[in-house]
Amino acid sequence: MSTSPTTTAEPTDDGPGLDPATVELLTGSLRELFAESTDASAVSAALAELGWTEVVAADPALATTILFTEQGRGLADPRILDDVLLDLLEPVLPATRSPRAVLYPHPVPAEDAGTVRGVLLGAVGEDTELVAPRFGADGVGELLVLPAAAGSSTDLTGFDPGAALRLVEIPAAAATARRTGPAAAQAWTRAEAAGRRALASAIAGVCEAALAQANAHVTARVQYGKPIGAFQAVRHRMSESHVAVTATRRTVAAAWAAGTDATGGAWEARIAKYRAGRAQAEVLRHTVQVLGAMGLTLESDMHRFVTRGALLDLLLGDHRSLGQEIGADLLTGSDARPVVEI
Amino acid sequence: MTGTGSAQAEKATTLSFSTDLDAYRTALRSYLCAERHLDRWRGRHYSSIEERTADHAVLLEVLHRGRWNRYGWPTEAGGLGGDPRHRAVLYDELSASGLPVPEQMNLLETLGPPLVRFAPELAARYLPLFLAGAEHWGQCFSEPEAGSDLASLSTRARRVDGHYVVSGQKLWTSHGATADRVVALVRTGTPESRHRGLSMIMIDLDSPGITRRPIAIASGAHELAEIFFDDVVVPADRLVGAEGQGWSVAMYLLQYERAMYAWASASVALRRLRELRDQLRERAAAGRPAPADGATRLGAVYADIITLRAQSADTVRRLAAGETVGPEASVDKILLATVESGINDAARDLLGGEFVLGTAPELHGWRDDWWYSRSATILGGSAEVQRTIIADHVLGLPKEAK
Repeated sequence: MSTSPTTTAEPTDDGPGLDPATVELLTGSLRELFAESTDASAVSAALAELGWTEVVAADPALATTILFTEQGRGLADPRILDDVLLDLLEPVLPATRSPRAVLYPHPVPAEDAGTVRGVLLGAVGEDTELVAPRFGADGVGELLVLPAAAGSSTDLTGFDPGAALRLVEIPAAAATARRTGPAAAQAWTRAEAAGRRALASAIAGVCEAALAQANAHVTARVQYGKPIGAFQAVRHRMSESHVAVTATRRTVAAAWAAGTDATGGAWEARIAKYRAGRAQAEVLRHTVQVLGAMGLTLESDMHRFVTRGALLDLLLGDHRSLGQEIGADLLTGSDARPVVEI
Repeated sequence: MTGTGSAQAEKATTLSFSTDLDAYRTALRSYLCAERHLDRWRGRHYSSIEERTADHAVLLEVLHRGRWNRYGWPTEAGGLGGDPRHRAVLYDELSASGLPVPEQMNLLETLGPPLVRFAPELAARYLPLFLAGAEHWGQCFSEPEAGSDLASLSTRARRVDGHYVVSGQKLWTSHGATADRVVALVRTGTPESRHRGLSMIMIDLDSPGITRRPIAIASGAHELAEIFFDDVVVPADRLVGAEGQGWSVAMYLLQYERAMYAWASASVALRRLRELRDQLRERAAAGRPAPADGATRLGAVYADIITLRAQSADTVRRLAAGETVGPEASVDKILLATVESGINDAARDLLGGEFVLGTAPELHGWRDDWWYSRSATILGGSAEVQRTIIADHVLGLPKEAK
């Protein structure tokens, strides 16, 4: 990848930081960027023009948070997530001149154990190397590097047609590199944690945009002679949605602040992704409801937030599995870490 | 360190703890770990509020003797300096070491700051006694006809020379069954004056003309009280803030309730979650595994606690930096209610039949806590009020249909 809008899991205070005015300016630029650039390569080019690498160096946490929040808000090409993961995986992979993409595990693995089934966040060229993580919840597994040309690739419309996903099946034997052992496992743990933080911000962005649209609707839409936002049942749904979004943003920030150990803050990142996944389920249920019939027809964009929220929730662990994993770890004796200190 | 060193060394320690939060935290943590005599407060269940209050007063006294609970309060009020973060660290470290946060401290968190801010003489006189466990105060706001609609309260305080004469009835007074004094919101203006005609005043509960009747919540615990005022004479210097300023004082107080109480509750909830987890593990080891959704429920509650901590820590820091915490703190209050209800509902559901029928002390504890946790969506502004505040003042939605 030419541009790397990504980061390692560094604490916020490692960089010189970004002042609020700069953050506001950058947020505005990113919002325009994601509104105009429809595919991954255009996004990468625009980020390079913006000098994004320096922004990330100045404040990795804030930079990643606003980048993915705006990406989610704009329902933009989700592909930049690959860069977040590859940044942490490439140190354990052989050097290459080819472009690389992440092959995300499909929730239903191939029946034949010799076949890797995964999902790509968009189409790739024939010369692309696919990096496929195959790890269990116990962290044991392997990283494969597979030539895209060796597998079959088909359009995967699914629930979120806007994401242009590709379903890939490829023989594991085609791997040009295979990484196992502690270094590979640690790289994956860190990459997954970074990806989860980014996804949690993207989900927060999706929810914020949906909430803003719902807010505009309940303020303008008049029934029984009043804006429907004057009815308590509607107002309270909106408030609960606001609480869920705020909670997500705050939990992501806490995950960044804590993410400095050898695992790259895996424990905290999992909590943040879980929080975000639950938030999208709750917020989008409310925003669809308050839009009335418009929430479920193509007349409004609301359906696009719903389907994107579902996709982002699924990637790197949906909230149901993550919640179960967190609880199971506690029940088997993991420390119930406080995560946040004053 | 706890008073045995020279005066000079003590002064240096005080200065360093009041300005260095991490030094305070580290020293406090090792104190709480090392002192085995604190074990009497660990895993303890009380059969009555009266018993708990008395025992927690002893814990306050111990913490006061070690100077630990004086940080975060101004020296003029018996403290040793520092800011609200010191108090937040105290509650967190107590909980992390398996100790309770003395129940009285929860109300000091809401009543202490307005006293310090609006009635420094009262704070200088009484706050040191509170910190030492020698007395505690109740919060006397609600009335039979003024629950959520607090501005409609009607307990009157008439100014007569150098004092006020208070008449009326208060209901659901927190800690009212055992408190020595209450901080009451009373009407000094006309009956129609709503929030403009209110004043905050501290009243001794042994004053002539006061009748107190403890109110048992459904668990049988006297968490609340009903207090009748029959021409009770209260010196005018007991006003907290100026006459007619009561609503502003109450709004100031609410910031601490939303920030500090939420943080303390999150700390306590994390202790309770660890205890529940350990109890479930013991049962599993004895061949009685948790229900199938046990992991999911426990994971959800734990994540909710972490989210509340993340949100609340930010609010506490803002408060400590001197910022005003406004309507957005209703988010903290809603997350707090989610945690308090959530941990106790999880205990009830995951302990199952034992919650209903069990006789072990920890089960009495869960049953009492479960009932008390029902107040999380009622007191300090109900769940509905919080959602309305967010809709009005944060989201700016159209005003509610009348």
